[in-house]
Amino acid sequence: MKRLMFVLVIVSLMLAACGGAATPTPAPVSNEPVTISMMMWGDPAELEVWNQIVADFHTANPNITVKVEVSDWDSYWTKLKTMLSAGTPPDVFTMDAPLYLDYQSRGVLLNLQPYLDKNPGMLDGVYPQTLEAYKTPDGMYGLPRDFQTIVLFYNKDMFDAAKVAYPTADWTYDDLRNAAKSLTITSSDGKTTQYGFYSDLWDMELVWSEGIWAYGGDIINADHTKTLVSEPKALEAWQLFHDMMFVDKSWPDSTTAGEYGGDPFLAGVAAMTPIGHWAVPGYLEANFKWDVAPMPKGPAGQATSVNSAGFVVGKDSKNPDAAFAFLKYVLSEPAQKHLAELGFACPVLKSVAESDAFLKQKAPIDQKIFLDSLAFARMKPVFKGYDEWSSAIGDGMATIWTGETELGPTLDEAVKAADDVLANNK
Amino acid sequence: MEFGLKPLGREKFWLWALLTPTLIGLLFGALGSVIATVLLSFAKWDLLTPPTWAGLVNYVDLFTDPKIMLALTNTLKFSALYVPGVVIVSLLVAVLMNRKLRGVSFFRTAYFLPTVTSAVATALVWNMIYGRDTGILNFILERIGLQPVCWLCAENAMYSVVLVNIWGAIGEGMIIFLAGLTAIPREYYEAAEIDGANGFQQFFRITIPLITPSIFFQTLMSTINAFQAFDYIYMLTRRGQGDSSIPVVVFSIYRNGWNFFNYGGASAQAILLTVVVAIFMAISFWLERRYVVYE
Repeated sequence: MKRLMFVLVIVSLMLAACGGAATPTPAPVSNEPVTISMMMWGDPAELEVWNQIVADFHTANPNITVKVEVSDWDSYWTKLKTMLSAGTPPDVFTMDAPLYLDYQSRGVLLNLQPYLDKNPGMLDGVYPQTLEAYKTPDGMYGLPRDFQTIVLFYNKDMFDAAKVAYPTADWTYDDLRNAAKSLTITSSDGKTTQYGFYSDLWDMELVWSEGIWAYGGDIINADHTKTLVSEPKALEAWQLFHDMMFVDKSWPDSTTAGEYGGDPFLAGVAAMTPIGHWAVPGYLEANFKWDVAPMPKGPAGQATSVNSAGFVVGKDSKNPDAAFAFLKYVLSEPAQKHLAELGFACPVLKSVAESDAFLKQKAPIDQKIFLDSLAFARMKPVFKGYDEWSSAIGDGMATIWTGETELGPTLDEAVKAADDVLANNK
Repeated sequence: MEFGLKPLGREKFWLWALLTPTLIGLLFGALGSVIATVLLSFAKWDLLTPPTWAGLVNYVDLFTDPKIMLALTNTLKFSALYVPGVVIVSLLVAVLMNRKLRGVSFFRTAYFLPTVTSAVATALVWNMIYGRDTGILNFILERIGLQPVCWLCAENAMYSVVLVNIWGAIGEGMIIFLAGLTAIPREYYEAAEIDGANGFQQFFRITIPLITPSIFFQTLMSTINAFQAFDYIYMLTRRGQGDSSIPVVVFSIYRNGWNFFNYGGASAQAILLTVVVAIFMAISFWLERRYVVYE
């Protein structure tokens, strides 16, 4: 009897194994209802739009339900890391391009290349500059959803009052500096009441990567082993920023800026600031007229920064097919249109970006500048250890922008710390 | 104890019975984390891939990384200002609250409120108070003809932050001291009054010596809290992306772990913090034997 049971068990096991082997590929997703989880950072306005996109996706694919979970930026990353480390990642989650390699290189993301190969032409309508960040030697592990280029925002009222001509596409950094000087107003008791220019100098994206590229310098070498921001050409850009702040005093130092809630442009005390499309919804609340212009030219030409936010799929996702179907939908016209209407970023799909959905938003500004800037935009660098590296530079240089330390030696020290980070992340 | 309820059965039994729930929590909750932290401090771990043995590398970093040294210096500076501040202010508040004031329970509640309020929320309110242009504090200063102060700028930030932390800790200290104060027999003060001692003499000759156990306990707790302080400091001094103008050790631990994928280094810093606190505890207990009076 016992022996019979044993044989039965073995036979049934073998049958089960054969059954498994007899199914060559997993059944297509559309046959049975699945629920996938999608996690993102964002605010209530973004969640509303994403709920709409998810609902539309469900209508198009009735068998796939997407559960959206949204957190603020800080908690998002903490939550994500905990879930990844516990082996229970969300099926789909958002990724900031500069941080992408920190996750991709640690093997927690699904390689999307096999899916992309099965969908030839899927990325044809997408701006190629926004795909660059996600490429690795063995394929793409993520897809962009929207992008940001940095442009120069300016306060028209201040320009009009000072009788200074608006910035043009032909502006150089010298023009910028001169205009900033003319726009700075100092009261009789020596207090500055209006600044010509402002930008935060902690992260490279707002102004200093653009400046360094325009002066012919670079941020980091090709194999990500050496920080180049203290090389002579980059130093020219730093010197310009430093002199605008401490010689011309047309740019408030970081302490002063902090007193205006960190955004003197929005506070109506700075005439120009370089920033991305994410600032537009907030600036719509400002009680002055403003518009945008391309970033100025430097000795080495015009440059700006392009960065994208995208979606990745967890490697341990139980429903990778459904997850990819959703990523594909995000790049479709209806979804990209919703994102364009949200007004926080530029759609990565060219046909939508160049349509009225993006160009005719409620902000009375020239939206096309954001797209045209792609022509001379360079990718915000993507490398392993990005977060720690940018902190080494940002924290390291913070005392320059408060006026506590000298530019040269402090920059050298920050670069040394940044290079240590690169060595540790090899 | 000569009065109160006598436990039924053997005292030992009840001792363990009542300690068990806490001990289970410690054993399975805290102890596991402590052991994991000790082990991880000898490892290189990014949370996403398996940890690898790193020997003493993380400990060498403690003494060679200027950022960790800066964080430790900030923590020590903070503690040096915070601990005496909390003990003195909460003692004074407790003495006030121990009097027969009209509406004393309202004041007690008011002082205790920060203890039970979310630190993040109150820190946001403090940001509004400290703001230079829009801040309430500078509004008042300018109204009475004084120069506005940049409360959260480099030179003032530490003091402003300590002030908020003390404010947040008054409630807890007050409770401890109130318990100590109510235990002092009234006869001592009556006798002192008959002998002609004034209020100050009574405070320094009777109150202070008799509540040394409370002072000791409060100093101990404040020291531990000072070394773990993070929420108010971070909320008031953050800048850039996740940076703080007054990085303290707990901030550095958080940042190394969650932002920089360096859980090994973060663990070693946690051990460093523990050792420093332990040294302060040892000194406190040595001082206790000399100066604390138990009845």
